[in-house]
Amino acid sequence: MSRFFTTGSDSESESSLSGEELVTKPVGGNYGKQPLLLSEDEEDTKRVVRSAKDKRFEELTNLIRTIRNAMKIRDVTKCLEEFELLGKAYGKAKSIVDKEGVPRFYIRILADLEDYLNELWEDKEGKKKMNKNNAKALSTLRQKIRKYNRDFESHITSYKQNPEQSADEDAEKNEEDSEGSSDEDEDEDGVSAATFLKKKSDMGDFLPEVVPESLGEKEKTQTARVGRGIIYRAPTTDEDKKAAEKKREDKAKKKHDRKSKRLDEEEEDNEGGEWERVRGGVPLVKEKPKMFAKGTEITHAVVIKKLNEILQARGKKGTDRAAQIELLQLLVQIAAENNLGEGVIVKIKFNIIASLYDYNPNLATYMKPEMWGKCLDCINELMDILFANPNIFVGENILEESENLHNADQPLRVRGCILTLVERMDEEFTKIMQNTDPHSQEYVEHLKDEAQVCAIIERVQRYLEEKGTTEEVCRIYLLRILHTYYKFDYKAHQRQLTPPEGSSKSEQDQAENEGEDSAVLMERLCKYIYAKDRTDRIRTCAILCHIYHHALHSRWYQARDLMLMSHLQDNIQHADPPVQILYNRTMVQLGICAFRQGLTKDAHNALLDIQSSGRAKELLGQGLLLRSLQERNQEQEKVERRRQVPFHLHINLELLECVYLVSAMLLEIPYMAAHESDARRRMISKQFHHQLRVGERQPLLGPPESMREHVVAASKAMKMGDWKTCHSFIINEKMNGKVWDLFPEADKVRTMLVRKIQEESLRTYLFTYSSVYDSISMETLSDMFELDLPTVHSIISKMIINEELMASLDQPTQTVVMHRTEPTAQQNLALQLAEKLGSLVENNERVFDHKQGTYGGYFRDQKDGYRKNEGYMRRGGYRQQQSQTAY
Amino acid sequence: MASRKEGTGSSATSSSSTTGTAGKGKGKGGPGDSAVKQVQIDGLVVLKIIKHYQEEGQVTEVVQGVLLGLVVEDWLEITNCFPFPQHTEDDADFDEAQYQMEMMRSLRHVNIDHLHVGWYQSTYYGSFVTQALLDSQFSYQHAIEESAILIYDPIKTAQGSLSLKANRLTPKLMEVCKEKDFSPEALKKANITFEYMFEEVPIVIKNSHLINVLMWELEKKSAVADKHELLSLSSSNHLGKNLQLLMDRVDEMSPDIVKYNTYMRNTSKQQQQKHQYQQRRQQENTQRQSREGPLLPEEDLSKLFKPPQPPARMDSLLIAGQINTYCQNIKEFTAQNLGKLFMAQALQEYNN
Repeated sequence: MSRFFTTGSDSESESSLSGEELVTKPVGGNYGKQPLLLSEDEEDTKRVVRSAKDKRFEELTNLIRTIRNAMKIRDVTKCLEEFELLGKAYGKAKSIVDKEGVPRFYIRILADLEDYLNELWEDKEGKKKMNKNNAKALSTLRQKIRKYNRDFESHITSYKQNPEQSADEDAEKNEEDSEGSSDEDEDEDGVSAATFLKKKSDMGDFLPEVVPESLGEKEKTQTARVGRGIIYRAPTTDEDKKAAEKKREDKAKKKHDRKSKRLDEEEEDNEGGEWERVRGGVPLVKEKPKMFAKGTEITHAVVIKKLNEILQARGKKGTDRAAQIELLQLLVQIAAENNLGEGVIVKIKFNIIASLYDYNPNLATYMKPEMWGKCLDCINELMDILFANPNIFVGENILEESENLHNADQPLRVRGCILTLVERMDEEFTKIMQNTDPHSQEYVEHLKDEAQVCAIIERVQRYLEEKGTTEEVCRIYLLRILHTYYKFDYKAHQRQLTPPEGSSKSEQDQAENEGEDSAVLMERLCKYIYAKDRTDRIRTCAILCHIYHHALHSRWYQARDLMLMSHLQDNIQHADPPVQILYNRTMVQLGICAFRQGLTKDAHNALLDIQSSGRAKELLGQGLLLRSLQERNQEQEKVERRRQVPFHLHINLELLECVYLVSAMLLEIPYMAAHESDARRRMISKQFHHQLRVGERQPLLGPPESMREHVVAASKAMKMGDWKTCHSFIINEKMNGKVWDLFPEADKVRTMLVRKIQEESLRTYLFTYSSVYDSISMETLSDMFELDLPTVHSIISKMIINEELMASLDQPTQTVVMHRTEPTAQQNLALQLAEKLGSLVENNERVFDHKQGTYGGYFRDQKDGYRKNEGYMRRGGYRQQQSQTAY
Repeated sequence: MASRKEGTGSSATSSSSTTGTAGKGKGKGGPGDSAVKQVQIDGLVVLKIIKHYQEEGQVTEVVQGVLLGLVVEDWLEITNCFPFPQHTEDDADFDEAQYQMEMMRSLRHVNIDHLHVGWYQSTYYGSFVTQALLDSQFSYQHAIEESAILIYDPIKTAQGSLSLKANRLTPKLMEVCKEKDFSPEALKKANITFEYMFEEVPIVIKNSHLINVLMWELEKKSAVADKHELLSLSSSNHLGKNLQLLMDRVDEMSPDIVKYNTYMRNTSKQQQQKHQYQQRRQQENTQRQSREGPLLPEEDLSKLFKPPQPPARMDSLLIAGQINTYCQNIKEFTAQNLGKLFMAQALQEYNN
């Protein structure tokens, strides 16, 4: 904002120069040294130049400047704060003031502030609109300043009577200002700027020639600094119009400066010419505030000023956001047409994108498609520019003041963070996807943008890899990872399947098209993050994504090891909800991966947590539960809605449930058969049991329809050891369509499943029917379950080793001989009863002990008997006593 | 002291066929001091009960009905009965008392004994010792001193031996129930244990001579196989069920005992505290006395040491009674089965 008035000091000092005499200042000879000073050690010079007075006054001016700014944005609270500071600073400067007299600028701010406050006070409407804090601050400040100003009454009245004070004061102040302002920034050329300015004011006519040369390099920064120092001056004493005019002048002059510097032909211009041009421009600009006047020369200053003007409206009520975007776009066009250089364009582009994001008033709503398109284009263009001009530096840590938008000699510096923009873009994309009906064509259309988003992220990644800090690289890597991890790499998969020697040309093309495998890519990105990241969150996310990606591509052991090594399971509950959702997704994917590998137990364990809660949908961020709808208020619901994972990332819940149920079935059915009569058997999977019970409750069993019914029917068949029926229930047309075809390698999974069913059925059969056999031939078993003999042998051996089956193998005849040592049902019951009675007796004894008054019971060692008895006696006596007293 | 009518028709030879009145009362609580010494049941009642269960009863659900009859000295004669209608959800406002009165009035019109002398209930493996049964039998006995409850076990009956028992609450239990105090102390004072909760009254089934004649005829006509249900050797199912039920009760018993135990411990602990407190006060007082200072005022000790709420012991009594019933059941059953097994063995050896 300050740049508006950048050269205000110049012009005003000039105006004062032109009329009046001025305080003598360093001579022209000094000027030659200027560049030297610039490049040399500035610290020293600073110290030399600064006097106590300068320091104090500088402090004051700084404060005054902030007050002015606060006044401009009607931030009364800020005003109050600063005013108090100002008072203190003035107190400090008292000694100097006593010597020098009250500085004019100080009086000025006091007077202005009072006027301003009174004005605000009168404005009832405005006061109503003010927020509480401001209103309160206003009244306090008003009282304070009244009181304070009483001390300066004479000064103020004299000032008010004669606002156009004698020029010498003005000039003096000017010096101080410029000096102070330049010093205040701990910039390289603090003094030089100040001295330069002084000189400028000295030199009068020289100025035009001087500027191009001296400002050559640092023009931008200098002017900016100077401008800041001067601000307070602009709207001060003169009535508005005049102030505005001055501003225009300043601007115009600055514009001219720049132009003159940039365009050689203008270098020769003298002061007069300059003035004329400016005067011409002023009224026009005023009349047509939206656009540049015809004939106005489009220069950096104009454009930047316009930009700032537009940006100021940002965030205010009643600002037409759409119009703002339009304006900014027009501005870009103008800038481009006028060839103002990439710096300005980049700057404006940044702002356009920001306003695009701002377009929606609240966080919940999502961008309209056209806005989104514009945004993508804009970012793309921005990236084009940035790639084309490696000398442009972009960063959020570049201050507005230190921006260099058009000095071609130096690297261009623009404030703004491309990474933030891209992250925001990603968020917007997620929002759009969240808010689109996933089953509509629209969703597909939106999803097509994903490629574009990925491309942008990739470009930004490349850009940041060159220029960014490691943190930024980590962030963009994470973004990239988040867009990669959930995608199954079909091409890499294909490549894996076809042997490498058959690599034809087409495959090479493919490889070229594709770049690296997503696995390799993930590996690279994640490893970088593991090594470089310092925030825990990014690393956690990266690990989870990495695991997910491994699991998705059936690299079970890598995925599992990574999960175990990360120790995420221990502390994930401390993470924020989105990370937890990611964790849940990863665990589910891990479970499904284990299932594909035939590791039913691992699969079951991984899925247990998610499935047992019955809230899989919610835990995976794939939808809200209606049940808990009453429990949360609107706010919470909104927050939760924002956490939802877009549809294209969803994990099929039916697949998840089916995988869980089938693995539970494979575990539970043999277990149930083995522990049929054991009262203390626990359930492996509650949910599975629940499904079984639901199935049992059906009064009439038709052929299974849903996935669950299929699994239940299959379980029943398996209970009887009937693997063929079980198989036909698990794998058939319906189930294929619903579940199994969703796997990338469906056939492999199916063959694995059949084999598992055969094996587990065999086990179940042996558990259930071993009591009716004396011996059974393994060949028969192998025929029954269509397993080869060694497998049957190994399964039975394992059961014998684990003492699940009381039997022995008779090698010569290849039979299993049952030992028949298992207790019958009645025996089992009797055993259980005996156990229970045991505990009952034990409890009863304790009651008995109480009655006896001895702790320990009568089954204790006889040796203790005597002592016990003693105790008993004593206790008894004691009790008697007690009862006596009690009654 | 099961007075049981074994083998429905076959042994109902005489007008007063009383088989199995063998077991005498399990102690003092026998029918000796009770108002009813013998229950005589009309064959009609037995058949009506059986029919009622077969028509309406399901495996675990019980059927109930009203017994009608008259009291002759210390004999209770049950001459007729009628069932309670089965409850359904849609007639919640059904008035049972109204129905009973209505029914009894109607029966009176056809000159049937209309004295309400008790009620009957079917049972599942002998699990009938419940709070509900206790409550209703109490109210019956409270109103009509002679009333009894007939417990009909359909499962045993299906196995070939009619199982019908007449039960009454002992006078002691009546006392306790009247007091409605089930604290450990009260029960102890009443000297009541699970064995003396119910008294079983011997029953006699009486048929008219005409019916007896018919029975004789029927028996001759019936096929041999029908009579041999009794000899079935299968035992596991019945035994298993009984064990299961027994185990369930034991499971219920355990926490009850634990609860009681905790109560005992708490009481004794508090007694101890109370005692200590008193002693301290006493010491203080003696000290003050020696210093001739004023004595400490008396304080209400029961306020300071509120005794813990004593657990109601009725539940555990009932459970214990139920366990007892199960045990009796199992004992009888196994005894019979062993006999059968030996018989079968002997037969086999003989055949070989």
